[in-house]
Amino acid sequence: MAEHLRSRPLLGTYVEIGVPGDGNAATDRAITCAFEAVGHVHSLLSFQEAGSALRAVNAAPMVWHDLPPAFARVLRLSLLMMRRSGGLFNPTVGGALIAEGALPGCGDDLPLPYGTADDIELIGNCVRLRRPLALTFDGIAKGYAVDRAVKALRQAGMRAGWVNAGGDMRAFGDHAIPVSRREADGSLRPIGALQNGAIATSLVAPHAGDRFPSLTVSAGAGVPMPGVWTVSARYAWQADALTKIAALAAPQHRVALIRALHGALIAGPQEVAA
Amino acid sequence: MTDARTFGFMLTMPVLAISQSVYAKDYLSVPQAQKLLFPDAESFAPHTVSLTKAQKKAIKKLSGVRQRWDEQKVWKAVAGGKTLGWFIVDEVVGKHEFITYAAALSADGHVLGLEVMSYRETHGDEVMQADWRAQFKGKTLGDVFKLDEDIANISGATLSCRNLTDGVHRLLALEKLVLNRG
Repeated sequence: MAEHLRSRPLLGTYVEIGVPGDGNAATDRAITCAFEAVGHVHSLLSFQEAGSALRAVNAAPMVWHDLPPAFARVLRLSLLMMRRSGGLFNPTVGGALIAEGALPGCGDDLPLPYGTADDIELIGNCVRLRRPLALTFDGIAKGYAVDRAVKALRQAGMRAGWVNAGGDMRAFGDHAIPVSRREADGSLRPIGALQNGAIATSLVAPHAGDRFPSLTVSAGAGVPMPGVWTVSARYAWQADALTKIAALAAPQHRVALIRALHGALIAGPQEVAA
Repeated sequence: MTDARTFGFMLTMPVLAISQSVYAKDYLSVPQAQKLLFPDAESFAPHTVSLTKAQKKAIKKLSGVRQRWDEQKVWKAVAGGKTLGWFIVDEVVGKHEFITYAAALSADGHVLGLEVMSYRETHGDEVMQADWRAQFKGKTLGDVFKLDEDIANISGATLSCRNLTDGVHRLLALEKLVLNRG
């Protein structure tokens, strides 16, 4: 089937957006709007980019900040995931990631390595960090950006399409897209077709690399299990966050926990090795 | 690329099989990218740039990124006799990736937009032994395995686009040092 595909460098990776069909001015406009939606999330939630709303919050803890709606939404979703996962998902690990060299520092003072949900006061769209922490949405923002792009495509009248932000993807409408997974050794393995749902994959490596810059760290208990973690869910933000929970969960609870949080573990390292 | 016949054959193999192949996607032609990045342009005047050794060295010094080739494909986007900016086709090479992209730069040296034109990635294709499908039974990723389609989407660890970002820094230096001089 013909498909109209475009790709832009956004969110520190390559974002691909596609709709079925040969493409015309209307599909081009829809895809451009979807890229702009991703760009908007990037400009708010980038840890690295000077001038992002996230940098402003991290630069001034213990102070109330009025958040743009998308920022408040991501923070609310993060807190929800944090509480429901018993802290396995944790958006306060910015300090730990800075200490590991996976994220750049944001000033002279090193933030605390990580905090708890109680360290974040969120009232309406206003937030205050109770302690000097650094929020990071690296575990959820890419997925959220994918969801926003899907919404933009729909609002532009597209009945089907898909968005792939460096491996976090979501498809909607009457169109299934074949999906392969990139394994730790770089090889590709077909894992199925995606339709009306989302999938995300995270690589848990001991150290962040140039090619795959992300790093999963634990806040307190537990050590992330090395390997490639893939989770499907209805929304991309869920799938994105759940890959981190999959890597950090105790093996005996992993599958049930992911299911309770409305996801499905597609293939973890132990299955690959089986 | 995996087709049904290869796959069917592989399913009968008792062990893992790995082969090298290229994952490739073409997104935009030059005219398509030009139209997207400079929708108001009336014409694009080719402006191929030949760089001297000294200029390449200066680009490296200013951007911190090595200018590998002597020629750079550049077009001047024009409307109503005015220069809207520069349309540049560039390539970046990573460890496994080869990416062609288009950059739109304003006449005063700002990035107006970027579009990937084509993407190539070399990887190993892995087809597991017959029972690998059983691992996915009861899982909710879609409802069917479309083995007869090309595998078009990769879910994996986030691939950095730093090579492209470096490329853009290099083009900004080229714009400042070479294009700006008319």
